[in-house]
Amino acid sequence: MRMSESFSSPGIDPPSPTLSARLRELAEYLAAPAAGRLTEEQRALSLGIARRLVTAVAARLDPAIDANALWADWLHGGVPGAERLVGHCFARAEEHRWREQSAHRNASPAPVHPGDATADAPAVDTALSDVDRAYLALQIADRRRFDALGNPALAVGDLDAELFRALLLDIAAWRLAEVSRDTDRAAQLGDAVRAVVSRQAEEPGIADAANAYHAILGDRVPQVAADAIARHNWPVLIALAAAAHRRSYGDMALSLLTAQAAALPSLLAPLQLDRTALAPLEASLAMLPSRAVADGGGGDQVDPKPSGRDGR
Amino acid sequence: MSERIIRGRIDRSGLLVSADTPLLRLQQRAGSGLGKPLALPHLARLVALAQRLHRDISRPMYTADDHSDIHALVRIVPDADGANLEISDWRTGPTIHPQIPVIADSALTPQGWTWECDQQLRVVALRAASDAPAVPAGWEGRSLSELFELQPDEDGRFPVLRALGRQSRFDGQRVQADGPTGRVAMTLTGEPQFDAAGVFTGFRGSAGLAEPQAQAAPLPGAVLTDPAFGSLPLSDPQFGRRIDGALRGPLSRIIATAETISGQFDGPIRADYARYAGDIAHAGRHLLGLVDDLADLQNIERPGFKAAADEIDLGDLARRAVGLLGMKAEEKGIRIDAPRVDDKMPATGEFRRVLQVLLNLLGNAIRYSPENSQIWIRVDRADDRAMITVADQGQGIDADQQAVVFEKFERLGRTDSGGSGLGLYIARRLARAMEGDLTVESAPGQGARFTLSLPARD
Repeated sequence: MRMSESFSSPGIDPPSPTLSARLRELAEYLAAPAAGRLTEEQRALSLGIARRLVTAVAARLDPAIDANALWADWLHGGVPGAERLVGHCFARAEEHRWREQSAHRNASPAPVHPGDATADAPAVDTALSDVDRAYLALQIADRRRFDALGNPALAVGDLDAELFRALLLDIAAWRLAEVSRDTDRAAQLGDAVRAVVSRQAEEPGIADAANAYHAILGDRVPQVAADAIARHNWPVLIALAAAAHRRSYGDMALSLLTAQAAALPSLLAPLQLDRTALAPLEASLAMLPSRAVADGGGGDQVDPKPSGRDGR
Repeated sequence: MSERIIRGRIDRSGLLVSADTPLLRLQQRAGSGLGKPLALPHLARLVALAQRLHRDISRPMYTADDHSDIHALVRIVPDADGANLEISDWRTGPTIHPQIPVIADSALTPQGWTWECDQQLRVVALRAASDAPAVPAGWEGRSLSELFELQPDEDGRFPVLRALGRQSRFDGQRVQADGPTGRVAMTLTGEPQFDAAGVFTGFRGSAGLAEPQAQAAPLPGAVLTDPAFGSLPLSDPQFGRRIDGALRGPLSRIIATAETISGQFDGPIRADYARYAGDIAHAGRHLLGLVDDLADLQNIERPGFKAAADEIDLGDLARRAVGLLGMKAEEKGIRIDAPRVDDKMPATGEFRRVLQVLLNLLGNAIRYSPENSQIWIRVDRADDRAMITVADQGQGIDADQQAVVFEKFERLGRTDSGGSGLGLYIARRLARAMEGDLTVESAPGQGARFTLSLPARD
């Protein structure tokens, strides 16, 4: 439905895109006035994540693509396939807000007492254990979900093939309009899409790392998950929960972030955590403002179910 | 900068038993108080370190309350019943909340990389900014010190390793890394990361391309043809650079590795082994200093060479020298009787050079003293001369030897690996360049007394 049509009425000039967007927003508001809305921070984070994803995918398709021009066009005309992207961008943005909040509160290092330095020292890394190696891989996969400045991003390797292909085709279509007179380059673009899709399929993502870590931990999962909660190491908790539930990382993140406190024990049941271990998690989530809690009281207008490539 | 000293006292069990108002206020804002454990984590760590080492340490201190970040310099003097705190240069600034991204925009240039490593310095993230050279392939999980070949700073130290030990921020770590077209010189900056339990989890930082002049140019023909110091072509203008190229690289690697072992960064090892590694690092730094001296000889021998005229306190410098070489003396059971804290002797001379002379004198005294003996360091003044004397109970130097002991490459017939024979020569040249002198009094069997005199200051 196009708002310019819906809200055009005799005596009013066809609205500008801005007016159209505002009217659409108002219509959505009137449809559910009690629902919580996106904050500016949430909008900005999600938009930034979308932009970084588009830029990264465009660079893979053809380094000659002017990502700034592409994004400027899409900002003006709307991001194609926005519905496909919103869940992923929102999940990543909310996870980032959560982690940022914890980082704020983790400013004070613990005092190191005599003897602690050696007692707590990690094992010699000449022979990295399988568990340590899997944890390292998980950390690396997680850090791929940031840009060079530490801003949140979606790693291409984490995208499901369908979403990635659709985005590639949208970018290719934009590029095609630019190089339409150059038939050779247009043909190359098609080849490039196929090659990039094929490479992405082989690229390990955070889901692979999460599954490997979960599998190698075996019966140590509850202990490691409890430790992750105590240390506010949310990526590890999300990864273990996602692997245990056989859900995508983004899906699991959003489930946690939108869960009521009472729902957390059942949500994390596969991790076999006792109630006291969950306390820091409950407290941390409770402190996160503007959360889209799944009780309907503050729900945002997005479908909180992004399906990652590992969704099973 | 405030010159006021803020004092405090920690007892044997780590309780803050007395504190000047600013320190007490900070302790109270941290939820503690007098007679309670020190609630300032960084300061508590430094106190623990000083107590563990049984010696004074002076370090920058970073702490914060709800309203401000506080930077200060803290000196911790441990004793049998606890430790005294002396805090100076107390500066407060508005609180800077750590945020994601913590990589300051100013720290990352478009030509730079950002990186992140875990607590064992294994790299978990490496990304290039928009105009930066591509990052090397296969960085995932590699050691930071392997990915970036660490270069020592002017003091022969490695900021990143020091920061690892202290779990603090660092900058100015010079490195060499693999770029797309060969080796590139870069400078690393990093912030420590902590989890909610306050456990150090690694560093996050940036790597910027170093200024072209800071790049260590490969030195052609850097291998010395004749290792005998006496035959080195000191007059050759390339001498300094050749020494640098031939020795600095291997020494840097020795120091870096020894510091890693000594700091037990890769896991616990036996305490005596850690100490041996510390000694290796120490000796390495000393050798690196010698390399500097050799390269510096040209300067010293140049007519008109002049040192800076800093306002110094010979008592303070003596205590610093003891702090640096105390462990070496302890190993031989040698007791050093150094000037007390209130023993001041104002003089004029270049701070770094005077410390260099004192380290040479004290190092020689330790080296040539018998085990379980004593070394005295005394400061004194005669007219317009401020003097400091280092006396030992070694075998002494006879009159003939005294005549040549300050000669270049003179080792009085010794063949051990203790020195190059340049130390006293350089020391006297430096003393004279500072309008002072270095003299010796000794007799066989009665030890030696080396006296450095400098212009006194009122």
